[in-house]
Amino acid sequence: MSIDPSDKIGEIIAAGRERVSVARDEVNRPMIHHLCDAMEETNPIHLDPEAARAAGHPDVVAPPSALQVWNMINPSDPVIESDVDRAYAILAECGYPKVVAVNCDQEYDRYLVPGDVLTATEKVEAFAGPKQTGLGEGYFITTLTSYTDQSGERVGTMRFRTLWYNPEKRTS
Amino acid sequence: MSTVASTQTLEQNQNPAGPGSVSVGDTLPELRIPITATLIVTGAIATRDFQKVHHDKDVAVAAGTPNVFMNILTTNALVNRYVGQWAGPSARVGRINIRLGATNFPGDEMLFTGSVESVDGANVTVKVIGTNSLGPHVTGTIELTIPTEEETA
Repeated sequence: MSIDPSDKIGEIIAAGRERVSVARDEVNRPMIHHLCDAMEETNPIHLDPEAARAAGHPDVVAPPSALQVWNMINPSDPVIESDVDRAYAILAECGYPKVVAVNCDQEYDRYLVPGDVLTATEKVEAFAGPKQTGLGEGYFITTLTSYTDQSGERVGTMRFRTLWYNPEKRTS
Repeated sequence: MSTVASTQTLEQNQNPAGPGSVSVGDTLPELRIPITATLIVTGAIATRDFQKVHHDKDVAVAAGTPNVFMNILTTNALVNRYVGQWAGPSARVGRINIRLGATNFPGDEMLFTGSVESVDGANVTVKVIGTNSLGPHVTGTIELTIPTEEETA
């Protein structure tokens, strides 16, 4: 049994309420080193200040793909319910309990340097469905997170799209 | 991290895409990345993703998957590394847009291939695919700028 979640999710998108989180730690060299060690990232702009300056950066820079890292939820943080979580809960309650990530689209306004303190602002941006997929009938939902620095300037955005589906509603 | 280094096949590009040398249809050197539990777990923690399915096999199995599996931030980082290795340190990545597919589990291998989709002055668009034994894990479009000779002169 499934219910059409469109009205409830539409209300959330229209309201546009955002979850705002400030990074606990500034962008910093030890975490950049951890990232590079784990990924075997050897681009010297992340590791060597001179090489970074030669490439036009003021200091070593974080890999741009790490945009999301600085505002990840800390395991010990209290759970702050947001409209993104509410939208996901609505989809599950309406009979689409399984989730799979589909797209992640990051755009970078500038590279991040040690000392940057990021604020992430997240909301539900778009919603589409029901669609028949290989996994079953489901809905696609897209969140938009904007990242700003300590001066309030935007440094990047991330659109993250997930499919919430019902594996019992498969046509094939 | 020498233990991780020793498990990965590095095909370091000795000739990164230099100024003015990029053309539509150019292919990136292939890169094979062994998918190990070490890469998955250290990648998850280095990206501050503490979801247990990325580091605790018991939890992953209870959740219905055969093993721990790679998180999206690690996938993004590996796409970043693959394109950056080709483009060289002077490049600036402006966008990484990925579509996710087959899960990366330990014991597998991901093969990265890529090609240049468009070139407009210094603005270059590259398409990459990372394929494992189950199919495409990641398909990505990366927008970057690679300084032209005039800009670097």
